[in-house]
Amino acid sequence: MFFTLVSPKQQEAALPSMELLPADSVSCIIPFTRAGNLIMVKARVDTIDGNFILDTGAPGLVLNITYFRDYPTTESLDEEQSGIAGSAVGVKRTTVKEFSFGSLDYWNQKADLIDLGHIENSKGVKILGLLGIELFKQCEMIIDYEQNLIHLHRIGRKESSGYKHSLLEDTSTYRIVPFELTDNRIIVKTSMAGKKLKFVVDCAAESNVLDSRLPNKILEQVTITKRVVLTGSNNRKVDALFGDLESIKIGGEEVSNLPVLITNLEYTCFAYAGCVDGVLGFDFLSMHKIGFNFVKRKMYIWK
Amino acid sequence: MRGSFIIKILTVWGMIIFLQLFAAPVFGQVKSYTIKDGKMFIRLDKNISDASLDSFITQFNLSDLGLWDFLRKNKVDSVVKQGWQVVTESETIYVISKKIESISDQTNITAKNIFNHQDLSFSALFPAVSNRVIMGYNRFKNKDAFRHNDSIVTFYLRGHKNAKRAYLAGSFNDWSPAAQAMKLTDSGWIAHVKLKPGKYWYKFVVDGNWMVDEDNQLRENDGRGNINSVFFRTNTLFSLKGYTNARNVFLAGSFNEWKPKNLRMNRTADGWELPLYLVDGTHMYKFVVDGKWIRDEKNPSKAPDGVHDFNSVITIGKPHVFSLKGYKEANRVMLAGSFNDWRDFELPMKKTADGWELSYVIGAGNYEYKFIVDGKWISDPGNPLTPNRDGNSYLIIEPNYTFILKGFENAKQVYVAGDFNSWNPTAFPMKKTKEGWTFRVHLPMGKTRYKFIVDGNWILDPDNKLWEQNEHRTGNSVIWIDQ
Repeated sequence: MFFTLVSPKQQEAALPSMELLPADSVSCIIPFTRAGNLIMVKARVDTIDGNFILDTGAPGLVLNITYFRDYPTTESLDEEQSGIAGSAVGVKRTTVKEFSFGSLDYWNQKADLIDLGHIENSKGVKILGLLGIELFKQCEMIIDYEQNLIHLHRIGRKESSGYKHSLLEDTSTYRIVPFELTDNRIIVKTSMAGKKLKFVVDCAAESNVLDSRLPNKILEQVTITKRVVLTGSNNRKVDALFGDLESIKIGGEEVSNLPVLITNLEYTCFAYAGCVDGVLGFDFLSMHKIGFNFVKRKMYIWK
Repeated sequence: MRGSFIIKILTVWGMIIFLQLFAAPVFGQVKSYTIKDGKMFIRLDKNISDASLDSFITQFNLSDLGLWDFLRKNKVDSVVKQGWQVVTESETIYVISKKIESISDQTNITAKNIFNHQDLSFSALFPAVSNRVIMGYNRFKNKDAFRHNDSIVTFYLRGHKNAKRAYLAGSFNDWSPAAQAMKLTDSGWIAHVKLKPGKYWYKFVVDGNWMVDEDNQLRENDGRGNINSVFFRTNTLFSLKGYTNARNVFLAGSFNEWKPKNLRMNRTADGWELPLYLVDGTHMYKFVVDGKWIRDEKNPSKAPDGVHDFNSVITIGKPHVFSLKGYKEANRVMLAGSFNDWRDFELPMKKTADGWELSYVIGAGNYEYKFIVDGKWISDPGNPLTPNRDGNSYLIIEPNYTFILKGFENAKQVYVAGDFNSWNPTAFPMKKTKEGWTFRVHLPMGKTRYKFIVDGNWILDPDNKLWEQNEHRTGNSVIWIDQ
């Protein structure tokens, strides 16, 4: 009965605000809500509307299999999805005829079908899927954590290289960090205690993460604050530690006292092209605004 | 062990100085938690004081490790069982260590979410209406709390008269930034929203900028960083006449864990009052006048407080009558259940012509309870929802959902089990009807997982397409209850 004052039409109209731009370029501003530290946006799969989690740690579109069991699937033995012992885990894959969010449309979009029940259960909210990197490869995306808005711009093929988002005009407010896209993951180079390290940028990781197998010279820079017990999807429990990392250099800039979760990242050696040493997650990304230009492979970090 | 080698090259004194960098221990109270070679190391002085050990265990979240037994009784079982290796460094310094294992044995996509373990759930942070919120009150400055009239609450934003437009966004309209336009008045902007009693989150959107309500002192962080204003649509007015010379009066009760200085009452012309939101159910309370606990004399409803006095009682919602036939020769029969935290002194039943009875108000939900007859706990013999003779009896208040299992005409016994009854396989027997096997239950807002048990076999709901994987890899059926 709470919605009597708001007609559904009004709500819909309030969602994306569009601008007119050259043929294949599209701009929109998408409001988001938060489930804990996760960013949730509305999106549509064929005729089904619902919440999706923006996940720069996912390679592409993922659908929660609970709601898409009747979609035709092909089972693929994908190297990216290999389990820890190197044994490949089969991932069901399907094709979505029409997928859309904001003012972006995708036709015949490939998607992985995965059981995301554990996220729903920990957040208490219905999740239709994850929005991963593949969907944004032609885009510039700026996430404004203060205003709860995502500024999304699909960069047109014929669009002049002079395109610049209005938020990026004042170059003194942000700094630019280059990244690599490896297997549809954002990898940034950092350095710590004189060592070069590779970090994945993952807006759906609720903590920053540091590998427990790193050299002692690096681990010595962490002040342990708390032990935590993590539960895997198979209910196996392992210990991990929360701590504060004294200093890390990201894009030439020194970041001090970064909160990190220390856990064993052995599995990333199989899941990624080579191991990663850590993850930059919500704690780091959500300080102000954060932006990604996937065409130019540049990350914008607001000060 | 390499860890122990490192310790051995340090003298005890040297180590104490070294450790002071981390934990600033006092002499004889060495305690540290470090990481090296992919392993965690906990170093503790055997003679650490109880207080110091207690704070170490709390700080680092180690209550399940069994450190008390380890240090005080030399029992290593619990520590070793949890995979820790024990090294005695010296007569006084103990070290335990454990390798940090990899969590992921599945895909990294599904593994990542484990990092959320300690967050409040989304429904706790952003429910459409209060979900599991027991009570609340408003704290405004510069303006009165938003008034409500026939469930219509008038939200008011003071000032900003030069703004072009203002909107109200909140948990009640899906945080839609332009769904609820506010109207300009001579002193600010207003918007009317129909709200049931409960807790709500909101923000104003003025010319496109999201802002908290500066005049509302109740704010909540939605997890990290993002602050929202909080409004309680109240449903109960507590008032105490007189005591006008008192310096302060507080309200304390079962709804705030009896904290004596938490709910400050407001001074009125002839006494004190406090409007509160209270969830449906039965609540106990007292007033605390300048530190002295007193009962609400104006309220005839009372219950024993366990220390030879009484608490005042307020109920919201409809009562349920508990009755126990027989036991006429018993001296005292009490009721206790999940609805009152199993307190066994609080709810005495009244003797009737043929047994015992108590009318008690409980909000919607599924509960477990027992009677206590002269100190002996018994299940309710008159309640068919009693799976074991000595087990708890189940009670369902305001069922809002009917489980139906079609077919299985030849089955002898069918049960439904799920989140709502702690997956008890024999608590909720289904009834054979024309439509199939049925059972009515109360389901809370959000997700519920369940299964049917047909003659001992657990099965998914054949008429529900939605199911998710469980730890046995046999699946659970899933339903969502919306507002």
